[in-house]
Amino acid sequence: MYILKRLITMLVTIWVIASLTFFIMKIIPGDPFASDADVLPEEVLQNIRAKYNLDEPIPVQYVLYMKDLATFDLGISIESESRTVNGIIWDGAPASALLGTQAMVIALIFGLLLGIVAALNHNKMLDYFSMFIAIVGISVPSFILAPLLINYFAVDWQMLPVASWGTWQHSILPSVALAATPLAVIARFMRSSMLEVMNQNYIKTADAKGLPTTKLVIRHGIRNAILPVVSFIGPLFVALITGTFVIEKIFAIPGIGRYFVDSIFNRDYPVIMGTTIFFSSILVLTLFLIDISYRFIDPRIKLTSGGD
Amino acid sequence: MKKWLSGFLLVLAVGLVLAGCKSEGAADQGSTEDIDQEIVVNAMSEPPDLDPALATDTTSGWVLDHVFEGLYTKDKEGNPVLGTASDVQVSEDGKTYTFTIRDDATWSDGSPVTAQDFEYGWKRVLNPDTGSSFAFYMYYIKGAEAYNKGEASVDDVGVTAKDEKTLVVDLEAPLGYFDELLTMWTFYPVKQDVVESDANWSASEDTYVSNGPFKLTSWEHDSQVVIEKNEEYWDKGVVKLDKVTYEMVNDATTYYQMFKTNELDLIQTLPTDVIDQEKDSEEYKETPYFGTYMYMFNVDKEPFTNAKIRRAFTLAVDRTSLTENVSKAGETPAYAFVPEGVETPEGDFREIGGAYFEEDAEKAKQLLQEGMEEEGWDELPEVTLLYNTSENHKKIAEAVQEMYSKNLGVDIKLSNQEWKTYLDTTEQGNFQMARMGWIGVLVDPVVILDYYLGDSPNNRTNWVNEEYDELIAQAKVEQDEQKRYDLLHQAEEVLMEDLPFNPIYHYTNTYLTSQNFKDIVYPVNRYPYLKWAQKVSE
Repeated sequence: MYILKRLITMLVTIWVIASLTFFIMKIIPGDPFASDADVLPEEVLQNIRAKYNLDEPIPVQYVLYMKDLATFDLGISIESESRTVNGIIWDGAPASALLGTQAMVIALIFGLLLGIVAALNHNKMLDYFSMFIAIVGISVPSFILAPLLINYFAVDWQMLPVASWGTWQHSILPSVALAATPLAVIARFMRSSMLEVMNQNYIKTADAKGLPTTKLVIRHGIRNAILPVVSFIGPLFVALITGTFVIEKIFAIPGIGRYFVDSIFNRDYPVIMGTTIFFSSILVLTLFLIDISYRFIDPRIKLTSGGD
Repeated sequence: MKKWLSGFLLVLAVGLVLAGCKSEGAADQGSTEDIDQEIVVNAMSEPPDLDPALATDTTSGWVLDHVFEGLYTKDKEGNPVLGTASDVQVSEDGKTYTFTIRDDATWSDGSPVTAQDFEYGWKRVLNPDTGSSFAFYMYYIKGAEAYNKGEASVDDVGVTAKDEKTLVVDLEAPLGYFDELLTMWTFYPVKQDVVESDANWSASEDTYVSNGPFKLTSWEHDSQVVIEKNEEYWDKGVVKLDKVTYEMVNDATTYYQMFKTNELDLIQTLPTDVIDQEKDSEEYKETPYFGTYMYMFNVDKEPFTNAKIRRAFTLAVDRTSLTENVSKAGETPAYAFVPEGVETPEGDFREIGGAYFEEDAEKAKQLLQEGMEEEGWDELPEVTLLYNTSENHKKIAEAVQEMYSKNLGVDIKLSNQEWKTYLDTTEQGNFQMARMGWIGVLVDPVVILDYYLGDSPNNRTNWVNEEYDELIAQAKVEQDEQKRYDLLHQAEEVLMEDLPFNPIYHYTNTYLTSQNFKDIVYPVNRYPYLKWAQKVSE
């Protein structure tokens, strides 16, 4: 019952997002066919507009779009007339997802580790060291970190290729560059959460009872401290796997990150809609999965649709 | 143990030295036959369309020019020469062209190229349902415009395949540069059965059939396009490369580094900060690009209603300093509209036309004063220079702002808008002075000068001059080459006298090409042509 209700809410959410995007997108001034080169005769423009239903009034366009959307047909790109939006997402999503997942794994492993180490060595050298790394990770933007990585690992030491996509070697530098900021955020978050938990009375009790430190940290400390972290890694994960504009551009990765940005500059309406719906669907789905996962991390949380 | 180690190191060292010798030796004596004839170039971005009817950009054009061939093609010097046609007969009035298609012209699937393929391809471009943006390039053909605009039937279009190998084309009026026009990708033939069997035929190598020196063998979207030598091409003897890979690396620093690590053999549009250090390298090449960067004046908005004030604003810009210190990509200062690159019987069109004005701060100040007196202004109306949001345009606009302040004593304001909004604003004439660039798809002065025709949709300045329009109309039907260029020179003179725009510079393209290749051709309005290219060393 809970799950069914959630599924319906999810569909409504996506529909609302799609509708809002549709109308906001039409308000942006500018024409997808405007160009500085060879401005087209009105008659030719008419032909092209008709191809994308843009000659209809906006409410009609909206109904036509929603009809297509119901059958998962996202239309044809205006910028690349021979490609469907479904095709663009289908072609680009795997690279973005792989890159995002690798970055997420790196960020999680090292972020949690740094955070835990820092918390357990509160106000000692290791703590300062971990937090120094975290601050560097947050404050150095990826468009600076990425060229630095390329410069050393690819150009000077020739260990890895500069850019492009294809082999696993190609994915290392971009994954690291992409992981830096989330890693730092996770580390800081985990540290403060861990510090708070370790000061709780039940930890002190367990410690007094003589529970071995490793057991204490793993079973009682981390398990409780990780809960707030889980709630924000969901959206973070979605942001990472749906493609990133900067990293994909710098490393020439065939992902979908650029379409989120370029489609708006090009007023490529079908692609704007397609990428938005794609992103929001994955986000909504992930949030749902995270809510369910709470149930397993913390048995105190029950999946109910109303109050307790 | 130690002995063993030193022995091992010795062997290793000797091995390394030998290996070094060997590779050097190989480079010296290696014949080109042993070298893999492959090149990796950078297309910078995904070609939006590889369908000749739909493509409108130079990236798509770069691939299309290699996999297709029109009735005319370009020779190494960039002149139009017969390609898929072996012969052409032009009627006395210059309005009817009869082409004979080569007997050995073949599609990449092995079938012969016929006149019907051209007829079908062109009529498809003109078909209103195709929605081709470049259909208007065909309006010179009889009945083409009416059909494209839905006012006439396809049977009225003056393109007819008389038989398998004979194509007859009727024009509305004679056209001096029809051969040049026919080298454009919009005029390439397509196979009817290929196009009709799959609406997305041009998006995948499986369904792609073409008739040029290369054929499409792989297209991984947003990653790379691979074309390989087309063994069915009629002139395959001149094609040396077996494989061309177009990578899609968009970030300038990245593709520069990829060139440095030999992951790319040819890159273009270098990052401006490396141009200085690469300038003297053998690999560096700078070619004029057939376009002009300019500031349009809106002649309906004060103060640019006054011709003297327009001239004052034009003369007060120091273009040499601007290109050398600000834009810094090897651009040529512009003192006219048509860039260099058009070969005429007397020489380069630009060199013969020369510069139309000289920069002069004193004279500019004086003109400004005179203009203000003519209009009865004590104070110059406030001027805002509008440009589309971009770091590069901003740098240039700021430099120009400073030059006006210094040379004219006028403080102008700057304003910028995002590209599509900007196009809207300028289209509606909501500007006084606005940035624009214009690049000729074809290398002919007409393509450039057409921009400021009174009824040109590109002309956003509100400047309409009957004499100018008339001269260009005459030039278009003039059959004699020399007279035609004379008329175009006269037209440019009229334009430069009135100055509805302020030319800043002519574009340049910068390249780095690996020295392992020879016979790469660098056209002035396209990306490098690789038909004759050859790899001569590893």
